[in-house]
Amino acid sequence: MTRKYWKGLEELKETPEFIKQRENEFPSQVSVEEFLSDDKLNETSTARRDFLKFLGFSVAAASLAACEAPVTRAVPYVIKPENVTLGMPTWYASTYYDGSSYTSILVKTREGRPIFIKGNKDFGITKGGVNPQIIASVLGLYDSERLKNASIGGVDVTQSKLDAAVISALKSAKKVTLISNTVISPSMNRAIGTMAADLNVNGATKFEHITYDAVSYSAMREANLQNFGAAILPSYDFSKAKSIVSIGADFLSTWLMATEYAAQYGSRRNPEKEAEGEWMSKHFQFESNMSISGSNADYRGMIKPSEQAAVLSYFIKGLGGACAIAATVPASAEKAAKEALSSLKKNKKNALVVCGSNNVGLQLLTNQLNSLLGSYGTTIDLNNDLKLFQGDDKKVQAFANQVIAGKGSDMIIFMGVNPVYTLPNGAAFGKALKGVKTTLSLSAYADETTTLCSHASPDHHALESWNDFQVKPSHYAVAQPTIRPLHDTTSALESILVWNGKASRAGKDSNVAYDYIKETYATLFPSGDFAYTTHNSCENITVAAAAALTYKSAPITNLPKSGALEVILYQKAAIGTGAQANNPWLQEMPDPITKATWDNYITMNPVEMEKLGYVTTYDQEHGLDLATVTVNGLSVTLPVYPLPGQAINTIGIALGYGRGANGEKIGKAAFQTKEYGGYEVGENGLHVPIGANVFAFASSNFELEAVGTIKKVDGTYKIAATQIHHTVMGRHSIVRETTLDTFLAKDKEAYNPAHTLQKLNKEGHHEERPVSEFDLWDAHPVEKIGHRWGMTIDLSSCIGCGSCLVACQSENNVPVVGKDEVRRGREMHWLRIDRYFASDEEAAVGQRKDKETFSYSKAELAAENPKVVHMPLMCHHCNHAPCETVCPVAATTHSNEGLNQMTYNRCIGTRYCANNCPYKVRRFNWFNYPSYKKFTEVNPAQDDLGRMVLNPDVTVRTRGVMEKCSFCVQRIQSTKLVAKKEARTIIDGELATACSDACPTNAIIVGDWNDSKSSVFASSNSKRAYQALEEVGVKPNVWYKVKVRNEVNELLSSIQVVKEAPHHEKKKGQH
Amino acid sequence: MKISNIQRFKRLSTMVAGVFTVITFLLPNQVLADGGGDFKAKCASCHQPHKNSTGPKLFQVRTKWATGGAKEGSIYQWVNNWQTAAANDPYAADVSKWSATAMSAFPDLSKEQINGIMDWIDMQPDPAATTTGDPTQVGGDPSATEEEGSFSWIWLVIGVIFIIIILAVGGVRRQLKHVTSEEELVEKLTYGEELRAMAWKYRLWVGLGSLVLLLSVLVTVMQGLGRINVVENYQPSQPIVFPHDRHAGANGIDCKYCHNSVAKSKSASLPSVNVCMNCHKQINGEGKPFADQIKKIYAAAGWDPAGAGKYTGKTKPIVWNKVHVLPDHVYFNHSQHVVVGGVDCKQCHGDMTKMNEAVKVQPVEELNKIEGNIKLSRPTLTMGWCIECHAAKDVPLGNGKNAYYDEIHRRLKDNDKTLYRKYLKDGKVTVSELGGWECAKCHY
Repeated sequence: MTRKYWKGLEELKETPEFIKQRENEFPSQVSVEEFLSDDKLNETSTARRDFLKFLGFSVAAASLAACEAPVTRAVPYVIKPENVTLGMPTWYASTYYDGSSYTSILVKTREGRPIFIKGNKDFGITKGGVNPQIIASVLGLYDSERLKNASIGGVDVTQSKLDAAVISALKSAKKVTLISNTVISPSMNRAIGTMAADLNVNGATKFEHITYDAVSYSAMREANLQNFGAAILPSYDFSKAKSIVSIGADFLSTWLMATEYAAQYGSRRNPEKEAEGEWMSKHFQFESNMSISGSNADYRGMIKPSEQAAVLSYFIKGLGGACAIAATVPASAEKAAKEALSSLKKNKKNALVVCGSNNVGLQLLTNQLNSLLGSYGTTIDLNNDLKLFQGDDKKVQAFANQVIAGKGSDMIIFMGVNPVYTLPNGAAFGKALKGVKTTLSLSAYADETTTLCSHASPDHHALESWNDFQVKPSHYAVAQPTIRPLHDTTSALESILVWNGKASRAGKDSNVAYDYIKETYATLFPSGDFAYTTHNSCENITVAAAAALTYKSAPITNLPKSGALEVILYQKAAIGTGAQANNPWLQEMPDPITKATWDNYITMNPVEMEKLGYVTTYDQEHGLDLATVTVNGLSVTLPVYPLPGQAINTIGIALGYGRGANGEKIGKAAFQTKEYGGYEVGENGLHVPIGANVFAFASSNFELEAVGTIKKVDGTYKIAATQIHHTVMGRHSIVRETTLDTFLAKDKEAYNPAHTLQKLNKEGHHEERPVSEFDLWDAHPVEKIGHRWGMTIDLSSCIGCGSCLVACQSENNVPVVGKDEVRRGREMHWLRIDRYFASDEEAAVGQRKDKETFSYSKAELAAENPKVVHMPLMCHHCNHAPCETVCPVAATTHSNEGLNQMTYNRCIGTRYCANNCPYKVRRFNWFNYPSYKKFTEVNPAQDDLGRMVLNPDVTVRTRGVMEKCSFCVQRIQSTKLVAKKEARTIIDGELATACSDACPTNAIIVGDWNDSKSSVFASSNSKRAYQALEEVGVKPNVWYKVKVRNEVNELLSSIQVVKEAPHHEKKKGQH
Repeated sequence: MKISNIQRFKRLSTMVAGVFTVITFLLPNQVLADGGGDFKAKCASCHQPHKNSTGPKLFQVRTKWATGGAKEGSIYQWVNNWQTAAANDPYAADVSKWSATAMSAFPDLSKEQINGIMDWIDMQPDPAATTTGDPTQVGGDPSATEEEGSFSWIWLVIGVIFIIIILAVGGVRRQLKHVTSEEELVEKLTYGEELRAMAWKYRLWVGLGSLVLLLSVLVTVMQGLGRINVVENYQPSQPIVFPHDRHAGANGIDCKYCHNSVAKSKSASLPSVNVCMNCHKQINGEGKPFADQIKKIYAAAGWDPAGAGKYTGKTKPIVWNKVHVLPDHVYFNHSQHVVVGGVDCKQCHGDMTKMNEAVKVQPVEELNKIEGNIKLSRPTLTMGWCIECHAAKDVPLGNGKNAYYDEIHRRLKDNDKTLYRKYLKDGKVTVSELGGWECAKCHY
């Protein structure tokens, strides 16, 4: 089996548009005639004479302004805080928890403003694991549409007035329900517990606390209750699992505690480990949607949601267990299932099976399988259970139904939840809320639920408040504020205490929450040092070993129903459940799999799409066909996106879109914008939301799989994807892939051959010599003297999560450009992640022996279930950079440290450099993003608050200049400076670029290549290291490492053999 | 930025009154350096000439003792050891009751020295009485500007007179010509025609003249354009008149005491008000003009100096006008230059110990006059100025003092001797040779 990589279906099929476009280095521009005939131009009313007047005036104004300069103010502190040094960052260790993701973080602040978040690799259990949402959350702090103060009935009131109203409502209410997301804060739990005890006097149940998670894991808890007698979520250890089988669980991105799993998984994806006597895990994924985990799997089987039980049954039976369910594995997953079974058999207790479904029956089957394998105690830890996702579906549903029936509580407090948006029956629930006497929301935004509440007492942003978390019994963590509250918001913990009469407000500098958390801390750690724990952000707790829970079987019922079309509701890496749908960084982050931005859509396998008559190609001018999906009588209309790897007869739709559909003020970037700025306004006169909300498709027991129908409707919809832009031809020298067996058994030449060219040797014979020996130019003096900054990217450990991309945007002030500009191929991301689908017909390395007879058109056939490679691509800092030689004004030059420098002030915007870049990593700054009206809604730099997130060490680029990855030169410079000041050499690992800092799997290594003891030097000399497009001879400072899949692939290994030495060379050897 | 915030980069002249006051202080300082010096060294921590502080005011204290009935010479005894004096002289015993705080003994001061001190003190004018001195009036020096202005006005007037004379003479000549032409019937020419005819007649000279004129205009324009954003002599007004010469000069306070992040960060930082208060809690200014300035610090810090003095908590940050401003696309790090490069503040800021007016960007000629400075030619704070220095400043490599540069030295020496020798041609390895001229060292 050999394969060929292609960047999009357009490329695979070579549609005329694509062929036309790939000839052009840049996406086509609008022609002059077309531009002039544009009706919208009539909107503008500047006459020629006016134009000349303006011109004259601006020239005069500009020349006047040039002679005068504005006075710059300098306002020193009155009393300078001890830990602030002007111009130097201050880092705080903290903890992130938003109801679904949890991780230990480090927050970088400059002059008191948090500007960057990264994972904490030194402390905590997540080992630096992050996801794009966590990194982007810092932008949410500066959202000008956050609620700024308390309100009653939509009228702003003082906090004390609201407190009085809430206290009297609590007193007079007959039944109070607090509905919150999972509370893992010991202090918050204590506060709620006290409130419950105080209100539930004399055995009455006046107060009730219901936990509700937008995406529920209740079935896992239920299954564990039935099998082990405890409704818990276990801890998983993917770093101990030699064989990983995932049934629809996207454990690398959104499933359970993915931030922990990604780092664990990444640590076992290093094939060198296998060579060193360690091992590399083997990962099998059975799923309907192509997920991030599925795209990284060694084997991936396509199954419908209703076939999950059959696959589990196949394994159970194969391992000698008893199962009543037919073990008929579909053909599209047969091979993977077979391999998985043999791997499970081999690894037994060192295997791990996880299932992503919220169906109790499937979870019971998964438990049975894991207990058959004996993985409890090795890869699964029931004793140190995960406290996330404590929601109880039955309770939530009962509560919602009661409210809808008008029989529920007369006071409801919403904390960290948005049920009107996320409940399957959210619309009905929202309507019924009007009938509840007192409804109080603690949400930071006037979201779907809050706008329907009578009272609002907005919570701080996470970066403004004290918090504590206990995500597992063995681990306690603290979140500390990194900025004084920007608005008149109040901490939720403080509010609960105040409303229960346990504390009184103390304004912005209140210590109520802090003192309360310290109290909790003192009970957990009687001899602990809170300051020390805060400094590290966490502390481990020794948990007494509990009696091992024993497995007992339980009857399996209510498995997912099958249907002609099964719908899967999934979470995107960037948007998740939609809590940060107003975050432009996340909206603009290309989806790791589809590479689409600013939208959700129906994903369908292109093979099926062709059968059903949908267009399978699209570009900047041609949209995708629309279709209406109907589930349980509800329907949404969305474009149909061709996604190879989607199981046949299934479609996927992302959750988290369609926020603010009733005109709720949830953030500026949460709505569709027009081509020249301003919001799109729908027929109802409201702003048009981005995508559509499909939470309503979830079944009443919160299962995210459903049976429905799809019908093509008229019209097309333009999608803004980064996929077909920046094509890179000659892919064999871009992506390299091999199997573990080949890597271990064969010589480097077999799977990672050096590029060679023929040369005449002294005897006049032709000789194959490495490309590096051929050179047009004099070598740049960067090797061995001074520094040479290098980077290696391990394609084996890169999971394509997109954290690096958002981190880069945050660090380097990369502007947000909005959907319309992305569609035109003008996204500004300095770092992109190319996602290559593989076709089964051509080997990655492209060394077919049957070159003469092989038909390449065969390789163009679509693969139903392709393998995927994620490849982060940024400026390669070529030592023979083609961009540098064509710049007419020397705006891009080479440093003696191997950096390709971009000087914005010199750049006149000819774009020759981008034209000449073989990696297509240069970005042209088309507009004044921080001021042009087109970007007012999407670009956070257009309001005073949003600008506070900008990194003061990096220039905000202006219109008309080229920009690109600088290797985070500001960090290089500061690392060097720190070393110089401390009179020491640079320590290996000290330098981290934003991307390497953010990478949860440590796939990116940067460092001083001239330091022969550095890890980047060792990594770049590994057998797997190669340079993309090496044959071009640009000598980049970025190395990739061959992706190694732990699979059996006969065709690939038959192709990846050491080349026979050319005839005359052999002869020479004989001489 | 709003127009109201815009201030011309014109040279701000000195503050007349301020200078006057300072000169009156400086003059006796020079004449009786010993007395003044001794006063500052021994007495100033407790005494002031015209104001009671820890100790009583000392202005004409000898006369006071003499008229008060003290024994002769008792005052010198008092200074050497007050207890001896108090035991011998009832007047001295009375004086000892002035305050509970006892005066230190200065047995090493001779009678001459004491007299020197007293003489110096008696020469000090009472600042409270000095009505003319108000350093807050930072304005243009009217005489200076007038002089400069009248100078150019004279030229203008002369020019106008010359033009009138030329025209008048021309007119007379024309009239005469007319008179003659009437008889000779010569063609009548208008002014313009005549001028053209003249130009044609002397076309070589006119051509050369216009060429010279054109070139000089071009050169002036180009030079003018080159001066755009040259900030030499930029001297914005400041909310508080801060005499650097008093702080860094007379009192010898280290620059880093106030600009305390200069060694740590890219920004040297202006001192926060609490740093000012470290000293100014005690020092509240001699004389109204100075006390007024220091009161502004108190207002900012929320300090109530009345009585025992306490903080009210009502603070108001001081809004200074930044003097040395670099554009946003330039990254400049003070700690890099001060700590790693060992560059003295003087190199870029001039000798602050002598700066008795609002801080200004020193022109490069001024900077070049300072001993120890690397001599440069481009205008201060321009990029040419920066890189000129980068090309001149040497980086000591491999002297065992900085392991970072030792490693750079090792790599250079071991791996590319030819390059190293090339660098060493001028006897030093300069900043630019190590990459100090590269764009991304300062622009990113």
